[in-house]
Amino acid sequence: MDDLLADFVAETREMLEASGGEIVAWEADPSDRARLDTIFRFVHTVKGNCGFFDFPRLEKLSHAAEDALSECRAGRREADSALVSAVLAIIDRISEMTDAIEAGEEFPEGGDDELIAALQGSDDIVVASAVMPEAEPANDQAAGETDSDEGSDNEISAPKPARAQAVQRSIRLPVDLLDEVMKGVSDMVLARNDLSRRLREAGEQPTIDGPFDRLSTILADVRAAITRMRMQRLEHLFSSLPRLVRDLSNELGKQVMVDFEGGEVELDREMIEMVRDPLTHIIRNAIDHGIEGPGERLKNCKREIGLLRFAARQAGNQISLVVSDDGRGIDTARLADKAVAAGLYSQSEVDRMSDRRKHLLIFEPGLSTANEVSSVSGRGVGMDVVRANIERVGGSIDVVSKPGEGASFHLKLPLTLSIIAALTVGAGGQRYAIPRSYVEEIVFGSSSNVEFATAGDRRLVTFRDKRVPCLALGDILGIDEIDDAEWDSKTLVLIRLASDDVFALAVDRVFDHEDVVVKPIAPAVMETRLYGGTTLLDDGRPMMLLDLPSIATNRLHMGEGRTTDVVEEEVVETGRKAVPIMLFAGLDDRKRAVRLDMVRRIDTVSREAIDIEGKRAQAVIDGSVFALLGLEFGKLPQDRCRLLRLTDGESEVVYAVNEVLDAADMDGEIIPSQDDPLIEGVTLIGSSLVPVLDGHALFAQQRVQRRTQEVLSCRIPGDSDWARTILEPLVEAAGYRIAADDGEDADVEIQLAETAQPEHPASARSVIRLTQDPDNAGADGDAIYRYDRGGLLAALKQARLGRTA
Amino acid sequence: MTDLLLQCLVAGRHAAIPASDVQSVIEIEEITPIPGTPEFILGLTALRSQALTVIDCSLALGLDKTVAEDDQRAAVVEIEGHLYALLVDAAYDVGEALSQPVAVPGGFGAGWQRAARGMVETESGPTLLIDTSSLIAGPMVEAA
Repeated sequence: MDDLLADFVAETREMLEASGGEIVAWEADPSDRARLDTIFRFVHTVKGNCGFFDFPRLEKLSHAAEDALSECRAGRREADSALVSAVLAIIDRISEMTDAIEAGEEFPEGGDDELIAALQGSDDIVVASAVMPEAEPANDQAAGETDSDEGSDNEISAPKPARAQAVQRSIRLPVDLLDEVMKGVSDMVLARNDLSRRLREAGEQPTIDGPFDRLSTILADVRAAITRMRMQRLEHLFSSLPRLVRDLSNELGKQVMVDFEGGEVELDREMIEMVRDPLTHIIRNAIDHGIEGPGERLKNCKREIGLLRFAARQAGNQISLVVSDDGRGIDTARLADKAVAAGLYSQSEVDRMSDRRKHLLIFEPGLSTANEVSSVSGRGVGMDVVRANIERVGGSIDVVSKPGEGASFHLKLPLTLSIIAALTVGAGGQRYAIPRSYVEEIVFGSSSNVEFATAGDRRLVTFRDKRVPCLALGDILGIDEIDDAEWDSKTLVLIRLASDDVFALAVDRVFDHEDVVVKPIAPAVMETRLYGGTTLLDDGRPMMLLDLPSIATNRLHMGEGRTTDVVEEEVVETGRKAVPIMLFAGLDDRKRAVRLDMVRRIDTVSREAIDIEGKRAQAVIDGSVFALLGLEFGKLPQDRCRLLRLTDGESEVVYAVNEVLDAADMDGEIIPSQDDPLIEGVTLIGSSLVPVLDGHALFAQQRVQRRTQEVLSCRIPGDSDWARTILEPLVEAAGYRIAADDGEDADVEIQLAETAQPEHPASARSVIRLTQDPDNAGADGDAIYRYDRGGLLAALKQARLGRTA
Repeated sequence: MTDLLLQCLVAGRHAAIPASDVQSVIEIEEITPIPGTPEFILGLTALRSQALTVIDCSLALGLDKTVAEDDQRAAVVEIEGHLYALLVDAAYDVGEALSQPVAVPGGFGAGWQRAARGMVETESGPTLLIDTSSLIAGPMVEAA
């Protein structure tokens, strides 16, 4: 509202200034019809605006003046000097009131009626002399009140300027002038850069360096201020939307609420104008197709009133604007049918599409989900135009939809039309700029993760299991032929277009990230369809900005969404076969792999936690003991050891490694290896052969005690030292838990034949009796000689089997 | 007719560019080539903070390349909001046109005919008046 008010004030003042000359001329010749018309238009406009803002006094005054003037225009009244004076008095009053409005002050009451009465042709001299002086002191008084803290001197001598200071004055400027100033500042920056380079070459000169630094700082400030001059709060755009939404929803018999967030985000004025139309269309689309009628909404347990949300956020050099509705979402089935009907895709192509792909069909030319062309959505512009417009200003648009829950459109807009974040790359000895928003990743061609292949003449690159087309920038520009061997020396910039197509751009090298000011290029250069604009490097040399979408369209027929399916399908296929593995360097620093599913976690333990004695090697992690493997390849590091904790689902072992390298997908075959029993085989990861550990062999070799879910308990005689010190560990090693002394039901009880009280009821389901005398064993019922290890373990095992059977 | 003309030498012939079109005459030091463009577009050069598209007038007329000299002069013109530097063999003075541009029976020869508005009389004799917007369109692509 404040902005609108400021606009009103600015407009009124502008008209006052413009009509100032007219008024004087009219005064000289009251019969001049053209002047009369101009002044009539002024009061008429003021009257109209006042009604909008609820300024009854202004309205009344301008209305009275308008009436009198329209009488003159109709020829019913002669424009005499009395009328001219009265009208001029009113215009003066309007001017004063406008000042007061801008300052946020109350204009002193009274005087209006006299002015209006004067219009009726009474004694004009009285009006001019009596009313005007009356208004002046009143005005000064008001000014003095607001600025009383500025001192009384000021109040008396210069009340008017004092009041002006209290107000943030605004003026209107043509955008051309702003551009001119901006260009000048850019020139200054370049001149500064040039100077800076020369100063550097000349060596240190304290007398010059100081002022030069100051100049640089000032210039940076000025540049920032100029940029801000072009900025406008998004509120300006938002403020016009409620009305649009209201009109549309009335027309369509729907009820829609709007919610705004982030109106304080600032955007380039021109950018705001550029997104106005696309945004309007998205709103139309949402209200027409997305949000259901009140009846349908109630049936679906939604609030009767639909909600349309606008959320803006600034993220670095980009503004993200999300428009979401809570309607029925995008009708993918119908969209797909339309696409088939329109001949854009075949039925089988559509069938293969993911839901997300189908959502993106909304941006295809010639599609609309509305069956009938309504007055609202069907104006011959589709979402394809919206996307084209957004992309033209360097933005992108995406859609997310959930059936029954609504759809949201995600717009990404650059802060300004002319400054973009770019990556500078080199090819053929020259630099080129790539808009950074397209850059997904940068990899070296020599990296082991990158694999080149050819299909016909098309060069492909495989990276992260994706096979994407690869273009060499030098080749695109026709400046450089690339030999097969040279690919490794290139740097690959992975480009993701707005349509989600990905391709790799091979460049000689990547230089830097920088914000560049983009200028348009001559039509003849545009015709090459390679460049989107030009920009100047710091040293003042020009650099071309590559037009990646158009390059992709020309070279790869991308961007129309056709190739994506093929690529996607391919990925899905390889994805199914691929087995995730973990690459690590063993203790001998050789690269090996283990299936990722087997790796439970990676632990780092100190050397003290590892105990190796003869063939037995164990590690303690978090109080648990694990068998340690992988030692055959080398010595453990002195201080800390990296251990892979492997599991077969039941038991765990740890495997010593020097370093965990990477996770990768094993999509090739495993070539079985016979020689090394611990290796399942070797496979090709990237371009190197990697042995894969044989999980089966690892665990088989270990015969690790199965960690049973239910640990059986065993009661041993509590009063025997021998039982506690010798027997207990053995029983525990056999996988039993020592039962508490009494009162607990144990699965097995071990009794000592010599000390056992036969009358003591065996509380366990099975009892093992031990005897001290080897001769008694077997003779005395089922007793086992206490050092018959095999017999005892067999008995325990028997008990376990009986329990679990 | 008192039109002022920038007199220059293009492909060894006297030619003139309406001085009202010309913003300035510059010496071109460095040209950044733009790969992929027609041959007559030599590239870009920077004039303060603006990039100029450098056009070789001879090539644009379908004639031989402008002879490279040490100081390459170019006339800066603005056409449809874009700045061009028209590279010429040599740029002379600004002179007055002494006549209206007139057609010469039989034309001016291939290439010249398309980009010339006609012949004008100047103090230094008859001169071809170049139409800059036709010039920057480059030589006609021969119909296959």
